[in-house]
Amino acid sequence: MKADSIGESRGVLVKMVNIHKWFGKVHALKGVDFEVKHSEIVGLVGDNGAGKSTLIKVLSGVYLAEEGEIFFEGRRANITSPGDARKLGIETVYQEQALAPNMSISRNIFMGREPTKALGFMDKKAMDKASMEALRNIRLDVASPDLLITVLSGGQRQGVAIARVLHFEAKLVIMDEPTIALSIKEAHQVLEFIKQLREENISVIFITHNLYHVFPVAERFVILGSGEKIADVEKKDTSIDHLTELIVREPSRL
Amino acid sequence: MGVILTVSKKQSSLLKLVSFRAANTVIVFVVLMLVFTFFTRNRVFLSSRNMGLLSKLAPDLGIIALGIGILMICGEFDLSVASIVAVCAYVFVLLLKGGTSLFLIAIITLGLGAALGLLNGLITVKGGIPSFIATLGMMMFWRGILYVSSRMWPIGIRAYLPAGTSFEQIFVGRMGGVIPAQAVWFVGLAAILGVLLHFHKFGNWVYATGDNREAARAMGINTDWVKIGCFMIVGILCAFVAILQLLRLGSFCCTQGQGFELKAIAASVVGGTFLTGGIGSVVGIFLGALTIQIMENGLILMGIPVFGIGAFIGLAIILFVILNSYVERKRIS
Repeated sequence: MKADSIGESRGVLVKMVNIHKWFGKVHALKGVDFEVKHSEIVGLVGDNGAGKSTLIKVLSGVYLAEEGEIFFEGRRANITSPGDARKLGIETVYQEQALAPNMSISRNIFMGREPTKALGFMDKKAMDKASMEALRNIRLDVASPDLLITVLSGGQRQGVAIARVLHFEAKLVIMDEPTIALSIKEAHQVLEFIKQLREENISVIFITHNLYHVFPVAERFVILGSGEKIADVEKKDTSIDHLTELIVREPSRL
Repeated sequence: MGVILTVSKKQSSLLKLVSFRAANTVIVFVVLMLVFTFFTRNRVFLSSRNMGLLSKLAPDLGIIALGIGILMICGEFDLSVASIVAVCAYVFVLLLKGGTSLFLIAIITLGLGAALGLLNGLITVKGGIPSFIATLGMMMFWRGILYVSSRMWPIGIRAYLPAGTSFEQIFVGRMGGVIPAQAVWFVGLAAILGVLLHFHKFGNWVYATGDNREAARAMGINTDWVKIGCFMIVGILCAFVAILQLLRLGSFCCTQGQGFELKAIAASVVGGTFLTGGIGSVVGIFLGALTIQIMENGLILMGIPVFGIGAFIGLAIILFVILNSYVERKRIS
């Protein structure tokens, strides 16, 4: 395949082949192929109900596909739970922000994966140090790891969520509408965080229906419509207008 | 805002905890202590006799409130605590009559408390219903079973347990001949639970579960078992209080513990615990439990009619929660 020969130069990190998903009688994914290369930022776009979230929930282990295969770093991966995905190095930053608002930054970053000393007691110093380091890596400046999430801005909160996946050495970060509830300035801040992830050689799947947010940061765009892949284009071969046209057009006309 | 948020590194974690969520409770507690000291006749509130009495009685509710508070932080309630206390006391007495060795009885009783807590947890979590309902049901169920089973007769324990055994000393004796053992247990259990909640990873899971359950789940925390664990802690503490009460009163009574369920919730709330979960501290709960009981004791000593005390405490709880949420809003904005 031609697409693969391009990918070969950088290596394919994850490859989803012929993914089918039904919800009762609804055929949500109709044989979707999807791949992400090493340290590549892919924009996964499409209208509401196109199947974007379903596709990445299959990848992150939230849903099980009825048909299809997933390959991770060349090997067939059996992802049946979010834990499986996390073990492979696939982390998700949810649009509803998986943070506890009344807990501190460092407690949030290590939630469920606390470093411990003897008998399961938390190593608070290590947590604080690693938290500040991870935040510095994405250039998010906060006064203390003891700050509660509730006092942070929306952009800073996304930053904490991104720092968390960075600390746990994710290879692939899935971001589901990371800019949807943010002001223009905050959204810009989040886009900067995403660029920082690529600096760390982490691949990103950026799901959104805001083309103006995804276009400057992504290198490739995959468009879904009614559970099918409509297009898969490199940035150099397209423009925002072109992408918009592809999304708006009915898939049947292609 | 800045003062609270940019905590200097020199401050110890413990100090931070106190200055943080429990600050209001500390103030109210101190004010009440002063008011009662100066407004009771001959400062009888502060007399060694009254203080001795308080430190013997207050731990009963206090120890239960510690469990309830932690359970509330993880987002659940337990209305069945008073019934669990009574069931545990009943089983203790039955075993005592049967001649089982004392320490074995104590272990069985504590185990029973844990089992009843486990049951509450399983019903709530696996049944997918609010714990308010699950434990309301269990509260009535166990009390009913107890009424029938005991035929509502009180049972004295002195015929089977002579006074002054070392077993009794451990639970309700006096440390150094002065401090009631109950008070020592209360402080000790608070310290253990405080360390567990604030420094152990289980504590982190409790807060995460109560604060944002979806997030906790997404991060791999088994929130169901965190909740069940908290229910079991409550059950064990209830069993413990059952033993304390039995040894202090010298007899079992099938109405034992009634009223504790709501008072324990009130104590937690006065201690800064939020009904919505995710917020609270052991220091706060500890002081909250003391505050409620000091208020009761102090008002009686001030000559308020005993049966009218409830009116004052009710008002005080409401005012306190209004104050608390006002401060919380200020802090965030």
